[in-house]
Amino acid sequence: MLNFDLTPEQKEIHRLARQFTAEQIIPRAAEWDRTETFPKDMVKAAADIGLLNIGIPEDCGGLGLGVIEEVLIGEELGYGCMGFDTIILASDLAVTPIKIAGTPEQKQRFLPPLVTGLGAFCLSEADNGSDAAAMKTKAEFVGDEIVVTGTKMWITNGGVCEIYVVLCRTDEASGAKGTVCVVIPAGTPGVSHNKLHGKMGQRCSYTAEVIFENVRVPRANMLGGVGDGFKIAMRTLDRTRITVAAGSVGVARRAIDESVKYAKTRHAFGKPISELQAIQFKLADMKMGHDTSRLQTLYAAWLVDTNQPHAQASAIAKCRASDVAFAAAAEAIQIHGGYGYMNDFPVEKLLRDVKLNMIYEGTNEIQRVVVGRSLFR
Amino acid sequence: MILLVPEHVAGKLRPSARELVAAARTLSALGECQALLLGPGASAAAVELAAFGVTAHHCEDAGYEPFKADVWTSAVAAAATQIGAKAVIVPATRGGLSYGPRVAVRLNAGLLEDVIEVETDGTTVGAKRFSYLSRVTESVRSAGLPVVISVKVNVLAPAEPSGTPGSVSAIVLPIDPATQRIEIVSQSKASTGGVALDEATIVVTGGRGVGSPEGFTRLVEPLAGCLNAAVGATRAVVDAGWRPYSDQVGQTGKSVAPNVYVALAVSGAVQHLSGMNRSKVIVAINKDKDAPIFKVADYGIVGDVNEVVPELLKVLGKQ
Amino acid sequence: MKICTVLKQVPDAEASIRTAGDRVDLTGVTFVMDGMDEYGVEEAIRLREAGHQAEIFTLALGPKRFEEAIRTSLALGSDRAIHIETTDVLDVVTQARVLAAAVRQEGADLVLVGGKQADWDSSAFGPALAEALGWPHLDWTTRLAITGTAVEATHDTDAGTETVRFSLPAVITTQQGLNEPRYPTLPNIMKAKRKELRKAVPADYQAPAPLTQVGGEVIQVKARLNKLFTGEAVETAAQLVGALRDEAKVI
Repeated sequence: MLNFDLTPEQKEIHRLARQFTAEQIIPRAAEWDRTETFPKDMVKAAADIGLLNIGIPEDCGGLGLGVIEEVLIGEELGYGCMGFDTIILASDLAVTPIKIAGTPEQKQRFLPPLVTGLGAFCLSEADNGSDAAAMKTKAEFVGDEIVVTGTKMWITNGGVCEIYVVLCRTDEASGAKGTVCVVIPAGTPGVSHNKLHGKMGQRCSYTAEVIFENVRVPRANMLGGVGDGFKIAMRTLDRTRITVAAGSVGVARRAIDESVKYAKTRHAFGKPISELQAIQFKLADMKMGHDTSRLQTLYAAWLVDTNQPHAQASAIAKCRASDVAFAAAAEAIQIHGGYGYMNDFPVEKLLRDVKLNMIYEGTNEIQRVVVGRSLFR
Repeated sequence: MILLVPEHVAGKLRPSARELVAAARTLSALGECQALLLGPGASAAAVELAAFGVTAHHCEDAGYEPFKADVWTSAVAAAATQIGAKAVIVPATRGGLSYGPRVAVRLNAGLLEDVIEVETDGTTVGAKRFSYLSRVTESVRSAGLPVVISVKVNVLAPAEPSGTPGSVSAIVLPIDPATQRIEIVSQSKASTGGVALDEATIVVTGGRGVGSPEGFTRLVEPLAGCLNAAVGATRAVVDAGWRPYSDQVGQTGKSVAPNVYVALAVSGAVQHLSGMNRSKVIVAINKDKDAPIFKVADYGIVGDVNEVVPELLKVLGKQ
Repeated sequence: MKICTVLKQVPDAEASIRTAGDRVDLTGVTFVMDGMDEYGVEEAIRLREAGHQAEIFTLALGPKRFEEAIRTSLALGSDRAIHIETTDVLDVVTQARVLAAAVRQEGADLVLVGGKQADWDSSAFGPALAEALGWPHLDWTTRLAITGTAVEATHDTDAGTETVRFSLPAVITTQQGLNEPRYPTLPNIMKAKRKELRKAVPADYQAPAPLTQVGGEVIQVKARLNKLFTGEAVETAAQLVGALRDEAKVI
């Protein structure tokens, strides 16, 4: 039985996200981008209406909603501003490891503050992104404590979050088998950060280099056991890359809508350019890309929500949706001609923003590794 | 019989009264035209109305002023029943739109609300009116008679006085205390002076882009003065407290259709357009070339009102 | 205090209105709760938050798609809802008669509803409902204060504004400025799933035969010149005045 319907609640949530985006995000996004401003008040407004960390289980004070709901929200927030969407979806990167690997006690301890606050996931370092297992940040077991030392790079919400979920290596074994996943509350002595400036896009999202200098946390802050870190990280990304795909879908739809609007009013050779086949073909390609990547994204979300294997489907969604969105943004600029190149039109920002979607949460090259490898199992 | 309920102020008929007469004449197949005038000054207004061949009844009871929906509902329904009216015609002012539906329910009559055209075949009444935020013209028809009709103001061609004047008589319509359910504590008439909005042949409206109340004083009011126009405001301007509600044009404000409508720094939201899109000539000045107002403008200037309006004043001043 | 909020769904203001034949064609149009009714729902919730022990129920008369708007009102804070489902297009006075019967059946002290319907362009519903109930009504309300059954309110009139006093029960219709409607929150959207949404039909309320019918609908088209003057203000101002004087001959 194949059913493409949303439940009435899902439709409501979708509508709420769309309304919030139209009224609160779209009017402000250009200004945030221009000034690299982290919109703390708008993150709070989103949290106040319940859009933050909706996957937190009900017994931890959350809504216990699924990835489909996250996708519906993500495509709307992404439509308004991919930078803002990243703030929200990156927080889920902290929630998910705790959900999949935390004990009931750990969930009760770490998740409730995230109902209204942000989390940050620390995997990448300056010298390793795709090669995650080569990380240098170290966790040492000293008595009852874990001591963390190292520097993480490209951390979304680093410096503005309630907790850090940090991947470290131990001396127990090299590579992936020696990794651990440790939860470090913000404000723990030894944690500091430097905000990164000069990003190409998603400039309202707070991205930082996060430094851990002999940071001590209880051993009970380790999620899973020694050697589980890498696995937890990969299982987390298998899931959270679906909401990245959702944001890309939103950007693609925005590219289409802006281009349709422009093409109706721009005249050339005596008629609106919307009547020219070249323009229609570009938009048709954008639309085909959007619709197919959206369906793949919802399918991957459905697999998670029905507890089915989803690594391959989510990699396809994340890679395809971001490739499509980037191409759509480029075409949107082209359709707008000279005006597309100017920052008082919204389309150039789409390109600058969505380029990152091809890079973070596993580069599109890594997604291809995941999909390619899965064909030979 | 047809019963008109025209409005009057200080003993003089409001211009809409002649539009009600015009409607009644179109519906003459339903019978003779009588009118009910209520409140202080009614007798003088009745005499003025009689010149149009209407039998005018007046009740000068001070209790009919200020307007109260319940009080007027009772009087109009009673008069309509008394004369066996097949049609009750009122102006589509706030007052008429308030008591008209109550009268319709009380008389078990169909309601043709805010109409721009009427006709009858003798057993039913048909009308044209706007719907969907004034984007659609719809034809409506009553199932039978009687009907209550509210006529959109400033649309029908006003009737001219007829050859034979009608009679004038006083009518006794005591106010039932049971209808005095709403007590008026205070009233504030916003008087921004100048030409009344719903009677103006030219309207100059300022939008949020005018910038401030000072912008209205500097740009909108002088231009309106120059053109002998009324000043209008958008919802955003009224929300910001720069102009009183009585200046508002739009879905929740007034509906106007002057000869010229000048929109200064108005974006052109559908709700605003619904209140002015029947204007004969629309002029728009806005610095945003994508503003929706330009789609409905006959003439437009893409520019800053702070620069353009002073130039307009110079050119107009020279004429 | 029992508060009834009446709502309807109308086409989104940005939607393009098309006709098919001589009727408006609403296929593919996005529908939203009528913004004027949103003020009513919000006001009911504020009255409860202000301390009135209020039970709030929503009434809606219309086709199946109204369910979305009804659910939104439940998510905003209404306790339960009754959807009188019909595909018939009923004139505003007939709507009022049906809903008056429903209000009488449910019992209410206050009915809040939008001041003007954005599809019928009608402000008749509130007054007609009040008459059918035998209650007073206040239209275009911009401020409302209730103590027990005593109401003090401010509303717009043709000439300006008026402050009035009266007693419940009453029908109060809204005007923009009455309040700022809130967003439904996600937790409340999920809680609304468990709230009662009862179905009924007009026949349950002895719906009378409609007293008026719509005959035909035509898009109101007025071709505009769309002449745009660009350039320095000195030039464009002169061009505009010239056009108004010599071409349009309106000044």
